[in-house]
Amino acid sequence: MAEAVLFYLFAAGVLAGGSQVVLRRNPIYGAVSLVGCFFFLAGIYVLLSAHLIAILQVLVYAGAVMVLFVFVIMLLNLKEEELGELRFTFWKVVGLVAVLATAAVIAWRALGPAYPSTGPARDNAILLAAEGFGGVKAVGRTLYLAAVLPFELTSLLLLVAIVAAVVVAKGKI
Amino acid sequence: MVDFFHAHQAQHYLVLAALLFALGAAGVVLRRNAIIVLMSIELMLNAVNLTFLAFARFPLVANSPMQGGFSQGHAAVFFVIATAAAEAAVGLAIIIAVFRSRTSVNVDEFDSLKL
Amino acid sequence: MNNIHSLRFFWPESVLTVAVLAMLVQDLLVRRSPRRVGLLTIGALFWLALTALATWRTPWGNFPIFGGLLVHDPLRIFFAWLFLAAALLTVVIVPRSKEISSARLGEFFALLFALLLGMYLMASAADLLLIYLSIETVSLVSYVLTGFQRGRRRANEAALKYVIYGGVASGIMLYGISILYGLFGTTRVAGEGGIGAQLADVTSRLFLAHAFGGQPAAQLALVVAVVFLLAGVGYKIAAVPFHMWSPDVYEGAPTPFTAFLSVGPKAAGFAVAIRFFFAAFERQLPGGGYAQVGDLPWPAIIGIISAISMTLGNLTAIVQSNVKRLLAYSSIAHAGYLLMGLAAASTAGVQSILIYLIIYVLMNVGAFLVVIAVSRETGGEDIKDFRGLGTRAPIAALALVIFLFSLTGIPPFAGFIGKYLIFAAVVQRGGFWNVLLAVIGVLNSAISLFYYARLIKAMYLEEAIDQRPFRVPAVYTGVLVALAVPNSFLIFYWTPLVRWAAAAFGGSPSS
Repeated sequence: MAEAVLFYLFAAGVLAGGSQVVLRRNPIYGAVSLVGCFFFLAGIYVLLSAHLIAILQVLVYAGAVMVLFVFVIMLLNLKEEELGELRFTFWKVVGLVAVLATAAVIAWRALGPAYPSTGPARDNAILLAAEGFGGVKAVGRTLYLAAVLPFELTSLLLLVAIVAAVVVAKGKI
Repeated sequence: MVDFFHAHQAQHYLVLAALLFALGAAGVVLRRNAIIVLMSIELMLNAVNLTFLAFARFPLVANSPMQGGFSQGHAAVFFVIATAAAEAAVGLAIIIAVFRSRTSVNVDEFDSLKL
Repeated sequence: MNNIHSLRFFWPESVLTVAVLAMLVQDLLVRRSPRRVGLLTIGALFWLALTALATWRTPWGNFPIFGGLLVHDPLRIFFAWLFLAAALLTVVIVPRSKEISSARLGEFFALLFALLLGMYLMASAADLLLIYLSIETVSLVSYVLTGFQRGRRRANEAALKYVIYGGVASGIMLYGISILYGLFGTTRVAGEGGIGAQLADVTSRLFLAHAFGGQPAAQLALVVAVVFLLAGVGYKIAAVPFHMWSPDVYEGAPTPFTAFLSVGPKAAGFAVAIRFFFAAFERQLPGGGYAQVGDLPWPAIIGIISAISMTLGNLTAIVQSNVKRLLAYSSIAHAGYLLMGLAAASTAGVQSILIYLIIYVLMNVGAFLVVIAVSRETGGEDIKDFRGLGTRAPIAALALVIFLFSLTGIPPFAGFIGKYLIFAAVVQRGGFWNVLLAVIGVLNSAISLFYYARLIKAMYLEEAIDQRPFRVPAVYTGVLVALAVPNSFLIFYWTPLVRWAAAAFGGSPSS
């Protein structure tokens, strides 16, 4: 019961925040509503028993990445006439809703039949609760055992990204 | 509505992910402002994360054939978050470089961040 | 094989990781040295040599490593040598080009090694997640190297365009990967319990849900996921729906990097495509050869992309006046030719791709090198800057003629071997559609002669305003000759290529 209510609530928040990103003319409004969208998504992740990921979502996405976006938007300090043309018009909203409806129908038709039509789907949150499904321990074991190579590759990727960002954006050293 | 949710729980999350992905794709196609396009790409990546997590909780297969089991989906999301952060950093650095070279070359250029 | 034991087969990648860090440190150490460029080039060559040594010393084999995340097989080693060759050419070319300033050479080499590492991993990844991460490594570095000349507006805009198209392509690809993860419960492509094994097993969960008619459950989802995944791969090889970035990026990037970009990541993209499709949707038969599993029509999808890529690439190339853009469209067309070999879905097809990729490195890097030599002197890259090159720089002009004829695929030159083998593999596969694809390929080769000939005409028949002969650096002349010779004479003796490709693909796996 509570799960259903929370899901619809959070889903509405996610879609509202996301559509603001697309429809708002000023990027700063878009960035702030994206932060909201990410918070609601973190709520959805908690519903999916992905506790560690939910925390990372807030820390990394809503925290670090979005701060970077806001920082750059402020740094560039775009003037009114530089913001671009798009405004909240009726037909654009209608078109967006149509696109979203199509995507939803396709997803429903494509992925719906994959699940058994009789009875509910297998639910790992209940079946694997003893192993701490979605918690730090379970995910950490996977990260450091089965997925240690991608883990190390990601660390290298982040290093390269740091060097890369400096190479591109630095003025003169 | 509550019954409908519980009967098709997995599909709810997957459809929400598809909606978010379409929203991001629409943003990429509709908007010309590079920062907003990058934010739309972040929306697409979050849709991917949601799909991974939904499938990790409601898998189609009874036993994960993979070492690490169903936590592998969570690990995948971890990597996607890390690479998304890296990509955003590089993308924003390039936006700054574009902005800088444009203003220094041509000050009365107004379409600075349009593609 | 577990993580610790796998490290024995991971030496080349480990050396490359150290090389990235070492180049950054060396860059700082020699910052004020007057012989900076020479020292950095020697450093880069040293690390390349060490990587080559590690690649050479890696024991031969055909088995999964790191618990199936990577596959160690001859195909991986083949691509490793191909990447090393492309990187070596770039390292040799870069110091004498005027586009990378000496102050930033160290950063360039460090990033080049990171790119090389990503490509090495792309060539051996057997897990969708690792495929994504390695592609992302290559992409991130490519964005930056494209915008390497910070002051140039065109370079920055190209980099921005590249980031945005790249971000969208990798987002789409990831969505495909996440759906595949859901359908199969794994991101592993090859090996036990991988996608290929599950598709081959008709009693698997995927088939049980909809056993009637042999359709796997959620066939639509599977097709959508694979098409989404193709977006990421198609983006790396610059095949048609995902090619929009390439003309701008090729034009905006520093030319030595453009040369690398047009051969290295493209080859790596093909490595991923070959490995993914043959591990997931093909089953190796005991007597050699492959049979399709599942009923996903992937050769047809690839065939359509291939036909559109070469036609669109060639037709658009005709109207280009900038030689780098012209070569960009020509490289889109070449992605189309190479995809034909994949569409054949046979051992011969893949082997012809491998052979063509070797030849493609020889001819395409050569063509770009002449562009570098010309723009070094004239400051431009338009066809008009090539006027009178036949008298101003006879060796470079002759070499470019050889490369262009080779790119067209005219008989005495090496490109002909590659095209002949690809067309033969497609025709051998038989059927109306395959023959039609081969015919489209031949027609496209004819079209391509048209725009390559325009460049040749400018070099030999049109008068330059400035008639003075110009200096081509000795290194460049040496490399041009070294590339032109195999392009002209490979046709007399190309058994080693065939033998090498046969060793790289088609052997049976052992554990």
